[in-house]
Amino acid sequence: MAHDDKIKDDKEHAHEHGPGRYFVIWILLLVFTLTTVVTGRMDLHGANLPVALLIATIKATLVVLFFMHLWDSEGINRLVFGVSILFVMVLLLGVFGDLLTRSPAALPLGAPVPALDDSAPVVPEHAPRMNP
Amino acid sequence: MSSSSALPHGEPHGEQHGEEDPHSNPHLAHHFDSMETQNHASRLGMWLFLGTEVLLFAGLFLGYSVYRHFYPHTFREASRHLNLVMGTINTIVLISSSFTVAMAYYSVKKGRNKAAAALLAFTILCALTFLCIKGFEYHHKFEEGALPGKWFHFQEMEGMPGANMFFTVYFLSTGLHAFHVIVGMAILIWVLRRLLRGDFNPTYYIPVELGGLYWHLVDLVWIFLFPLLYLI
Amino acid sequence: MNQHADSSALAPTEARVYQEINYLNADRGVASWLKTLDHKRIGVMYFVSVLLAFLLGGIFAMIVRLELTTPEPTLISANTYNRMFTLHGMVMIFLFMIPAIPGVFGNFCLPLMLGAKDVAFPRLNLLSLYVYWTGSALVLWGVITGGADTGWTFYAPYSTTTPMTLFPVLFGVFILGFSSILTGLNFIVTIHTLRAPGITWMKMPLFVWAIYATSIIQVLATPVIGLTTLLVGIEKVGGFGLFDPGRGGDPVLMQHLFWFYSHPAVYIMVLPAMGVMSEIIAAYARKNIFGYKMIAYSSLGIAFVGFFAWGHHMFVSGQSPFDDGAFAVISMLVGVFTAIKVFNWVGTLYRGAIYVSGPFIYACGFLFFIVFGGMTGIAVATVSLDVHWHDTYFVVAHFHFIMVGAVIMAFLAAIHYWFPKMFGKMYHEGWSMVAAVFIVLGFNATFIPQFLLGNAGMPRRYYMYPERFTTLNVFSTAGSTLLAFGFIIIAIYLIWALKYGDIAGPNPWNSKGYEWLTSSPPIKENFEHTLDYPEEPHTYHEPGEEVEHVVI
Repeated sequence: MAHDDKIKDDKEHAHEHGPGRYFVIWILLLVFTLTTVVTGRMDLHGANLPVALLIATIKATLVVLFFMHLWDSEGINRLVFGVSILFVMVLLLGVFGDLLTRSPAALPLGAPVPALDDSAPVVPEHAPRMNP
Repeated sequence: MSSSSALPHGEPHGEQHGEEDPHSNPHLAHHFDSMETQNHASRLGMWLFLGTEVLLFAGLFLGYSVYRHFYPHTFREASRHLNLVMGTINTIVLISSSFTVAMAYYSVKKGRNKAAAALLAFTILCALTFLCIKGFEYHHKFEEGALPGKWFHFQEMEGMPGANMFFTVYFLSTGLHAFHVIVGMAILIWVLRRLLRGDFNPTYYIPVELGGLYWHLVDLVWIFLFPLLYLI
Repeated sequence: MNQHADSSALAPTEARVYQEINYLNADRGVASWLKTLDHKRIGVMYFVSVLLAFLLGGIFAMIVRLELTTPEPTLISANTYNRMFTLHGMVMIFLFMIPAIPGVFGNFCLPLMLGAKDVAFPRLNLLSLYVYWTGSALVLWGVITGGADTGWTFYAPYSTTTPMTLFPVLFGVFILGFSSILTGLNFIVTIHTLRAPGITWMKMPLFVWAIYATSIIQVLATPVIGLTTLLVGIEKVGGFGLFDPGRGGDPVLMQHLFWFYSHPAVYIMVLPAMGVMSEIIAAYARKNIFGYKMIAYSSLGIAFVGFFAWGHHMFVSGQSPFDDGAFAVISMLVGVFTAIKVFNWVGTLYRGAIYVSGPFIYACGFLFFIVFGGMTGIAVATVSLDVHWHDTYFVVAHFHFIMVGAVIMAFLAAIHYWFPKMFGKMYHEGWSMVAAVFIVLGFNATFIPQFLLGNAGMPRRYYMYPERFTTLNVFSTAGSTLLAFGFIIIAIYLIWALKYGDIAGPNPWNSKGYEWLTSSPPIKENFEHTLDYPEEPHTYHEPGEEVEHVVI
């Protein structure tokens, strides 16, 4: 068959590594889980979200590359996964491009409102009364 | 590649590499020329399907991001009201189940079917454990009144802007995830059944691989849900 | 099979032979059809299904047009009118436009064009058909039990608070999404793994490239609409408040999620149509396709850029002006890729040996409508203009120019091109040209007035309108009647041809497409022997060779 996907034959898939690889990755995942639990509830002055996302991304990368064998796999599989992640980013970017630049009138009650000058967004002090 | 259906099995037209006729392999479909191509096709199909699952959860992660952006203090406060111990245990359970399902795949590749069966069974047990713990958590939330939308009557967070929104996002994302855990469990049970029936061996184990891939996706989603909902 | 015929000869060189034992009669009985794994049979079943869906959607359209013949209430109540245009949109888009060309011609032609025996996952293919039937049945149940009145876009908060039971329609759409995903997934894997030796990526027919780009969109975008229907359904039933401003929610978020799929969805509809056009224009101009690589890459380009443009549906919804501008600019890029294709098609026609028949008339209509539909698309993508045109008939005319003017012309062209291959019979070409003229003229009469109406300020989805718009509305309704008449003529001579048509033979058009290298109708296994593919697709003469410039 003409297939430009370079198919690695099953021999390549089979003999590349031993079982130890899975064990090491598992331990690493547990270590990172511990790290994120410890750092997650600490006060990192605004860095909580990026740190948590970074650790989660590292864990996910380990699972995808080694448990899911994308490390040894054909290029097209990697492209498929990569492209789907890319489009998740596109979705987030497009929506946040909207949210971050909206006028206050178009934002939900209680949401941070962009200040008129370039200072930090103003968060309302009192929660507005919501519908029951 | 012969298209004539009259060609008898075993005729040596596929002996390019001095191997057996590939079409004598009962697992080879008539429209594929080799098991390698067929396996590659199966794997690619599965990765495409996993891509669709990523995009499906993307919408919920978007919902989380949007409402976290709108209500940062509320979301931070609300995560403290989720049970960190249960969440952490569930994370460890899922990560370990990913490990065991990967080991099960490795074992089948090596012909160690008994070990593979035990590992698969353990994975399924982990899935069940996850669901039970989730069930406890949901029950607790019901009692507290920390529920989505119009059902929200959680005293401790009354009056905080967007408090109900956190629990809406929580229930929607963990609910959809739990649904996928159930589906994943069903798939693994089906794979285990076939393994016990003797369907798999070192030359044919693609369903184990594909079932494992699906299970890993379930783990992947949780790897992101856990810190976003429980920690920060 | 002599494929080196003199390119100026029009009469096919192979004898017109009907393949006696073929995929249609190889296995007998209803059960053999319902359990088939043959992509050709699945394509035929999709064909019948989507035509029924088109009929239903068309009936809703006629009811809408008849109601709009007078400014006052004409036939139905306002509530019923809301349901009619909603169901027209939903049935046409989800039950017809999205599945049609991929499901019918993608299924039938793709393996033939790749020299394969079937698609990669024949059982998934059958499953996609069953899922399509299930989703359609749910939508039909919804239609019968009152339907939906939200517009096909079912925006929150109306969709989450309307007293109508949206559930069957929404759930039906959710299920139909899976059919689309399975089809796309199948085609991508087929193209990657089942190309015959000799068919490299750059020797694939352009219809295959179009299907490839379409399938990528189907796989990536459809899950998001699945989630959106789920969330709206849950909010409606459970009061979750995700999009409810009264509970801190953001209704515009729903629109973001909705259009993230629904804009790429229009490329799911138009890309296969463009692929059909590449095949048809090369075949009926009997000339090498001009700019093969550019057409192939521009298909991928449209698929890619199409994902970045969704906000142009939300210019006046509350989206920020920054995002408005960003989406506007990106939307213009799609026009570049479309224009590339149009220039290439025209370049193919130039100095070609044109054979005027039904498909060619549809191709002419297609070129005209995609240019005007596309240009008005660029116009409505301009924020300052869309502020006035949004939710008027201008937008309605724009998208019907593309969806009917381009896509349905291509669908009809595809039917008339591949009918001889699928069924081994020829229809009456004279009648096909008459019908094509009715369709093209009827289309113009229906939708050009709508541009004028929209520009003059007539809103869409309105039950009544000011007196001064009456003439144009009557004109539009008259045009739609002509359109309907054209479709009826087509149905008659095609059904007649199935039984009484002349034998077509393997290649009545003397086309260079790979699917013509087998019998008509094809045998179940597609090809008798493995074939060589020395020539590229759409190759009618050697580069530099003098083309006999004949018009027949």
